[in-house]
Amino acid sequence: MELLPLRFERAGKSYLVSNMVGDFVRLSGDELNRLVDLRVRPGDGLYEKAYAAHLITGEGQTAQRQLLALRLRSRMAYLREPTPLHIFVVTLRCEHSCPYCQVSRQSTDRSKFDMSEETARHALNIAFESPSKRIKIEFQGGEPLLNFPMIKNIVAAARTQAGTVGKAVDFVIASNLALLDDTVLAFCKSNGVLLSTSLDGPADLHNKNRPRPGGNSHELATRGIRRAQEVLGPEQIGALMTTTEASLDRVEEIVDEYLRLDLDGIFLRPLSPYGFAVKTKAIRKYNSKGWLEFYARGLRYVLEINRTGRHFPEFYATLILKRMFADRPLGYVDLRSPAGIGLGALVYNYDGKVFASDEGRMLAEMGDQTFELGSVAQSYRSLVFSDKLLDLIGSSLTQCAPECLDCVYEAHCGADPVYHHATQADPVGMKPLSEFCARQKGVTNLLLEILETSPQDAAILRRWGGM
Amino acid sequence: MGGATTDLVVEFGAAVQSLGALQAAAYRLIGSATCQIDQVADHFVCRLTPVNNPNKKSSHDSEALRIHFLDLVTDENLRERIAARTDGVRNVILALAFGSLASAQNDRP
Repeated sequence: MELLPLRFERAGKSYLVSNMVGDFVRLSGDELNRLVDLRVRPGDGLYEKAYAAHLITGEGQTAQRQLLALRLRSRMAYLREPTPLHIFVVTLRCEHSCPYCQVSRQSTDRSKFDMSEETARHALNIAFESPSKRIKIEFQGGEPLLNFPMIKNIVAAARTQAGTVGKAVDFVIASNLALLDDTVLAFCKSNGVLLSTSLDGPADLHNKNRPRPGGNSHELATRGIRRAQEVLGPEQIGALMTTTEASLDRVEEIVDEYLRLDLDGIFLRPLSPYGFAVKTKAIRKYNSKGWLEFYARGLRYVLEINRTGRHFPEFYATLILKRMFADRPLGYVDLRSPAGIGLGALVYNYDGKVFASDEGRMLAEMGDQTFELGSVAQSYRSLVFSDKLLDLIGSSLTQCAPECLDCVYEAHCGADPVYHHATQADPVGMKPLSEFCARQKGVTNLLLEILETSPQDAAILRRWGGM
Repeated sequence: MGGATTDLVVEFGAAVQSLGALQAAAYRLIGSATCQIDQVADHFVCRLTPVNNPNKKSSHDSEALRIHFLDLVTDENLRERIAARTDGVRNVILALAFGSLASAQNDRP
């Protein structure tokens, strides 16, 4: 008999144990010690439990090792097709003035803050040099619809280039929808462009978070969502919310707003420590404990809704559940190791600078160029194989970072060097002090608790996870 | 060191306790307490100083902090035992997944 690699964490009086690919099992202290010392025998119950969880294998048996290798390879298959996401910041201008804005928007000077045709052309060349057979081009800002002519140019050029090189290309516009009109909708419909917007909850909360002249951000966003659903179809428009201090005791109202608008689920997201969120100190208004309480209440409310028969997933939980229940690679760049910077996405800024992630671009707007890889004048290879990027990715691997290395949740987590650099000036980060780490552990523990104690909710969570 | 009056000292025999496990336990204590490790003759001396962190459970109770630290050391000792027994097979699995063994498998007809 041979012990296979395992990780564990104390969980009250028992231990949470996971194998190399993150399958969980609970053991008593005595069971864990017996297992590690291989004091188990067929028929004693622990042997069967450990064998089924790929924690032990028979002497000379190769099947368990090969299965774990196959599953590990499948889970990390995203590495075989790097950089599927290419973010074009077509302008930094915005007509909103959100205090938590993470990109430090500008409100004036079109010539200074819009992407030029030359920059866009170079950026497209880099995007099509990336090895992925299917790439996604996402338009961001500022408010990207303020430079709609450039979006049209890029989509047309990308379609032509995709045909030439034999790649598929998808498009997303991340917009507050305030400027959405029939022209934009017709363009999106004819080009299969998805819309992604921000919706923070009911009108008063959304408008407080997202001030604009006229104070009508919510009205414009919800009208835009409805119009997009009618013209493009309900699956072509999605919304994201950001949790501010004002959101903390209103999660049910926020969820209700998403239901009222017939959106297909909700992503209960914390505030990110970048841009105006730092300058205005919005980020300091609550910590991971406050957010986790908000999240737990929200998740239980969403489960209540699902119990009535309506499919309405919470997307943060869904991401983790998919990692727990399936060995498919996930495209979510924040929850992977090696980190998704550069390997998951590249960001082409309006001024021609290239960043390893959208958050890296946000840091640069604050004067921190750590994640600036170069310019659009360079090739894909020179950007992604740069010493700078490789050092950042290599130094932040959770597979060998302190504490992460032995963390029972590692298989379902990620490195996120940008977050840890922003909060601790270190891409690895001291995980005992990391709010990212506390959130991940908190959400995963909550999901495990529901899976183990509530059969009806567990069935819903398994469906979200793709089982 | 500030807060010396609340410091707590825990000693381990160097012959039976590895320094690596103590260092790993000290790392996990960050945010709750700082831990300075010195070797004095045949003992490791761990000086724990609680820190004020609103995100962590309060460990100002010396006995609670001592028990928490001993639990962490126990866990790290177990992790060292697991690593010693599984590092070889972990490398084999990684090689099967991503390394030369993976290539060898792919080359088979």
